[in-house]
Amino acid sequence: MDRPRVAIFDFACCEGCQLQIVNLEEELLDLIDNVEVVEWREAMSEQSREYDIAIIEGSITRPEDEKRLEIIRTRAKTLIALGACATIGGINKLKNNFEMSDVKKCVYGKSADMPHLETMPTKAVDEVVKVDYKIHGCPIDRKEFTYVIRCLLMGKKPEIPEWPVCVECKSKGNPCLWDYGQVCLGPIIRAGCGARCPSSGFRCFGCRGYIDDPNVNGAKDVIERYGLSVDALKAKMVLFGIGQGPTNA
Amino acid sequence: MRTVTIDKNAFRRFVDEIIKRQRVIGVCAKGDRFDFEQLESADQLRLDYDVTLQPPKKYFLPPVETLLTFEVGDGYKSVYDDTPFVLLGVHPYDMVALNQLDTLFTQDNYDTHYMKRRHNATIVACDVVSPSKNVFASSMGTATVKDGFDVLLTDIGNAFVMESGSKKGDRFIAKAQGAVDSSEKDLQARQKIQAENEKRLNNHKLKCEASYLPKLLERAYDHPVWEEKAKTCFSCGSCNLVCPTCYCFNVQDDVNWDFISGKRQRAWDGCLLDGFTKVAGEHEFRKKRADRFRHRLYRKCKYVPEKISSQIMSCVGCGRCVGACLPDIANPVKVYNRLVDDLGIK
Repeated sequence: MDRPRVAIFDFACCEGCQLQIVNLEEELLDLIDNVEVVEWREAMSEQSREYDIAIIEGSITRPEDEKRLEIIRTRAKTLIALGACATIGGINKLKNNFEMSDVKKCVYGKSADMPHLETMPTKAVDEVVKVDYKIHGCPIDRKEFTYVIRCLLMGKKPEIPEWPVCVECKSKGNPCLWDYGQVCLGPIIRAGCGARCPSSGFRCFGCRGYIDDPNVNGAKDVIERYGLSVDALKAKMVLFGIGQGPTNA
Repeated sequence: MRTVTIDKNAFRRFVDEIIKRQRVIGVCAKGDRFDFEQLESADQLRLDYDVTLQPPKKYFLPPVETLLTFEVGDGYKSVYDDTPFVLLGVHPYDMVALNQLDTLFTQDNYDTHYMKRRHNATIVACDVVSPSKNVFASSMGTATVKDGFDVLLTDIGNAFVMESGSKKGDRFIAKAQGAVDSSEKDLQARQKIQAENEKRLNNHKLKCEASYLPKLLERAYDHPVWEEKAKTCFSCGSCNLVCPTCYCFNVQDDVNWDFISGKRQRAWDGCLLDGFTKVAGEHEFRKKRADRFRHRLYRKCKYVPEKISSQIMSCVGCGRCVGACLPDIANPVKVYNRLVDDLGIK
């Protein structure tokens, strides 16, 4: 079969998800045997305007990013959002809690008004262009990434969990962290991470974003019964959750 | 088949001897809770536990397992887990649950993966010492168990009464040094404990006979309780995942990078999860939370008992779902009692 041409682009992010691809180790050679990587700033110098699959890492935080992303979309047959910054806006959305002028001053000080430092509220990739597949997480799970790529190469739809983290947590036999006073976001956050944080005793921070149909009534009921306020829950969700629809309900 | 008495120190030495010879899974403390884990020493064993976080089904139907490997042009090879093991400390309600799974996994399509593990297991059940906060096994008729186990242990104070329930159990007991045939007094002590357990494992009391539930549910399909409860349901499947009788699974193929070989895996699924009933073309039969919420409680006390012609319900009263449900809606007794109140016993 013809090897599809793949280009990997980064926007506002720490590039940790791309690093996960570089870190594929035993699978990296399999990957580049099966696809032709035509652009990948983190790992090579070449650039290209012709590609079948565009992989987008990072969130969209500047007007010029929006334009660049739209051009990429017109060139790619398939577009994948890679990692929490791309799929849900990620921690860059913390910025949306403040006035843009204050954010600029905080970061750039006296230079804040320079024309090339224009900024805007953070958007996830699908708030700008159509996204075909999302590979969730902060960072992504390497096995999930290669699974999705193999599915695409076979023309098969990858199965991305639409159920919450509780499924993986209970399968592992973990006691519920709510029983130990932690405000865990597991019941409303998409699984696929293997309940990594709760299995290590830390509550779910929500890096994989909401499941398709999170139950806001359920969350309110639980907040009440555990003597918490809606604001307290929102505070727990702010790291990855700000601006995701259902919190505003 | 013999019934013997063994004092607790001799029993501990006996368990240590078995650990030297084969894999022994027993109930251990896990923080302030309990769960089944592989034993390294008999000292870890906690037969006074209340309830384990997970039911023992995972040793027969693991959360994820590889069923077969395949290669295009070269057929497939089934993958079996073939290690003998002892499962030590299964409470009666969990034993009843395993008995049901045995029926279900052999009834229509004989499940070789499940049954291979089942044949490799020596199950040592044990009567409950400390009832858990949410247990209602007495209501479901599962507080004691008469069959299915290879050995049944009862703690009578300074010793255990060990009853063999199978030839495997006979061989197991024969190896227990220091065990003597149980005296009439020991058997009476055991009888008293079991009779008490049949009443006291009842922290949620069902208002009707458990065997009446299929009939009650016949009249309850359109009752408002399903919508009311499901309003706060997270559809997280926790009630399914901790249940000793939930056995639904999903099967998926994962193809290797050579694109000709791969493996077929099955993983636990749950009828409360969105997407559980999704089929080709994205059609979904139980899209509403209330429909999924109702389905589990029908499955437990109508569909499955009817399928296997059982007087014992598929809810065995372990109470795990009650504790696992964050919005506190999963308690089957609360729902069934509400139906009894509203619809009466006819």
